Amino acid sequence: MRYRSQSVAYWFFAVAMLLFALQLVFGFLSVAKYLGPDPLLNVLPFDVTKVIHTNLLVVWVLMGFLGAAYYIVPQECETELHSTRMAVWTLLLLAVLGVVAIVGYMFGWTAGNKLLEQPLPIKLGIVVVMLMFAYNILQTMRKAPRVTGTAVVLVAGLLGAALLFLPALLDFRNYTVATFYRWWTIHLWVEGVFELIQASMLAFLLMHLTGVSRTTMEKWLYIVVGLTFLTGLIGTAHHYFWIGVPEYWLPLGGFFSALEPLPFLAMALMAYYALRQMKVAPPNRVALHWAMGSALMAGIGAGLLGLAHTWPAVNRWTHGTMVTPMHGHLAFFGAYGMIILGMISYTTPFLTGNPEKAHRHGGIGLWAFWLMVAGITGMTMAFGAAGIGQVYMERILGMGYLDVQLLLHVHFQMLVFAAVVFASGVMLFLWDFFMRHPRQGIALGEPAVPHEEPAEV
Amino acid sequence: MTKRQAAVFAVGATGLFTAVFVGLTIHSHTAFPGLTNQADITPEVLAGKDVWHRKNCVNCHTLMGEGAYYAPDLTQITMQRGEAYLVQFLTDPSRFYSEEEHRRLMPDPKLDDAQKRDVIAFLDWISKIENQNWPPRPILVTGGAVPGGYATGRRATAATSDDPVAMGESLFHAAPPGCAACHALSPGVVMAGPPLANMATRAADVVASEGYTGAAETAEGYVRESILEPSAHIVPGDLYSADGQSFMPNNYGDLLTPEQIEHLVAYLMTLR
Repeated sequence: MRYRSQSVAYWFFAVAMLLFALQLVFGFLSVAKYLGPDPLLNVLPFDVTKVIHTNLLVVWVLMGFLGAAYYIVPQECETELHSTRMAVWTLLLLAVLGVVAIVGYMFGWTAGNKLLEQPLPIKLGIVVVMLMFAYNILQTMRKAPRVTGTAVVLVAGLLGAALLFLPALLDFRNYTVATFYRWWTIHLWVEGVFELIQASMLAFLLMHLTGVSRTTMEKWLYIVVGLTFLTGLIGTAHHYFWIGVPEYWLPLGGFFSALEPLPFLAMALMAYYALRQMKVAPPNRVALHWAMGSALMAGIGAGLLGLAHTWPAVNRWTHGTMVTPMHGHLAFFGAYGMIILGMISYTTPFLTGNPEKAHRHGGIGLWAFWLMVAGITGMTMAFGAAGIGQVYMERILGMGYLDVQLLLHVHFQMLVFAAVVFASGVMLFLWDFFMRHPRQGIALGEPAVPHEEPAEV
Repeated sequence: MTKRQAAVFAVGATGLFTAVFVGLTIHSHTAFPGLTNQADITPEVLAGKDVWHRKNCVNCHTLMGEGAYYAPDLTQITMQRGEAYLVQFLTDPSRFYSEEEHRRLMPDPKLDDAQKRDVIAFLDWISKIENQNWPPRPILVTGGAVPGGYATGRRATAATSDDPVAMGESLFHAAPPGCAACHALSPGVVMAGPPLANMATRAADVVASEGYTGAAETAEGYVRESILEPSAHIVPGDLYSADGQSFMPNNYGDLLTPEQIEHLVAYLMTLR
């Protein structure tokens, strides 16, 4: 950390971690309803706990991204943030919107559109948050003495996310057309611009953790960007398979989404290359674990498990079964959860003082890492077993949905077991994070004077 | 590859595929009205869509396979359950399914009568969207018995022979009409309609009984009548009817050809 305004990232990360913990609570509530009967049926039914579970995910991931951007951009562009005050207001507004949305869901205030359940006023508030962020970060870069490729890709990813949110504001008469454009937001976020954000965070972390050259990392970064859009744009069509669109989306979606593992493979190679070329003793082993883990688990979860059911002839039978959450859980955690946890692990020593003691909590940090990795792997296997069983019994043999769900109980029990392992890792991570206190208050309006830090590249 | 070449690749690939994607999107818009029967989007369908969203249905159910996975897919529910049934179900789901037995239950959606009709109209519009024939086989809400190798296909498929009984059996498992979604062939298995395990025998008993309220004179005639006019004679049971109206759809006369009806009758008359 070289600029005081970077310290604002701590508060984004702190709120993100609280929301992450809350997300787990609603995950457990949701799976409990799979085991049933549900004592909360008329108070907090499944649709509400599920919406809160997924919305919390989106909010904490966005907060993690924004925090990371407020940390990375000043460092990369060698300047203070344009306005730390504005960054704080962005955080507060997003947090308030999140809380209002979640409380609203509990009282039935919802737009009822999958993953875009936020009622219109909330959505407009999110647009304001994005505009505030865009203004602040672009002003920062405009005044900066240098602008790096890493910063450009990161900011392009975040601005792209803002742009792609706009279709979500529209109301369509035709459900098929509404679904068509809903995926412009959802798919082109998670399998488009979010990959840019992940890759630039990965490049930043690898540069600092392994000492490989900027030129090499940014070359890989651009390859990831190209592959992401080469495959991911038309790859959107794997969401168009059975919703009432022209036939040609099937072969197109099958072919291009089968290539979608490529950008993740490039990220894994980028990480592997960086590790092989390691120039320094890693200053932060925990962060290095998360960075490498993200590159690998994103490749498995988003890449391979997506590929597993993306071909139209397969998806015809697996569409709308537990096979999807199998892919979804590992994809989201592997790609976006892990990279943010990596960013947090890397920055926490600087944000809380004692950067030279980054290893002090290494033991706990590594325990947290391995428990989460083991837990999410078990969860993925439980979802996968349930999904495969469901496909064969319900879709192929033709047994009734409700009867098949009863037969899947054992897999939901295993899901709970794996989720407990995962949650214990999260608890350790949170304890490690919150046991340390931020080094300073947020430096509002401080002069742009860089100060020296050890162990920085 | 140099860093500069990589940057050119990134910008070039993004630009090219954005253009292709936008072009295909524009073309798709010319096809949406036909594929989705846009002319049939009535005010009721639109109002039903609002109910669907306001009640957050998609976060338990799926529609065209999209949504949450906690409750049955509803893409073709109106092909499997008649309006009378669906209205009663939406009035009190706990009357039809036991939370003790299935471990989960739909909470009362608290809809007024107009909202129930609207959401059913919306679901009926959905069921007719041309979506590459998904699902490939009807997704049943319930029904534990493995039906034993019936012919595949969502739309009525041709049987492997031209024997009326074989064609009737094939039709029984196809959707539409979706008979197998409500009627089990195993004795005592109640899905939504009465099981048809010994239909021919029971039909003869019904026609001969004192309480028979229909117009048929033979067992075969009763089977035909029960398909075309389900309310002519009500099979006793709270799950099957309300106020003298059967929950079974009464539009099979329009949906199926007279030959198809005869095939179904021929098949059902073999169930003794």
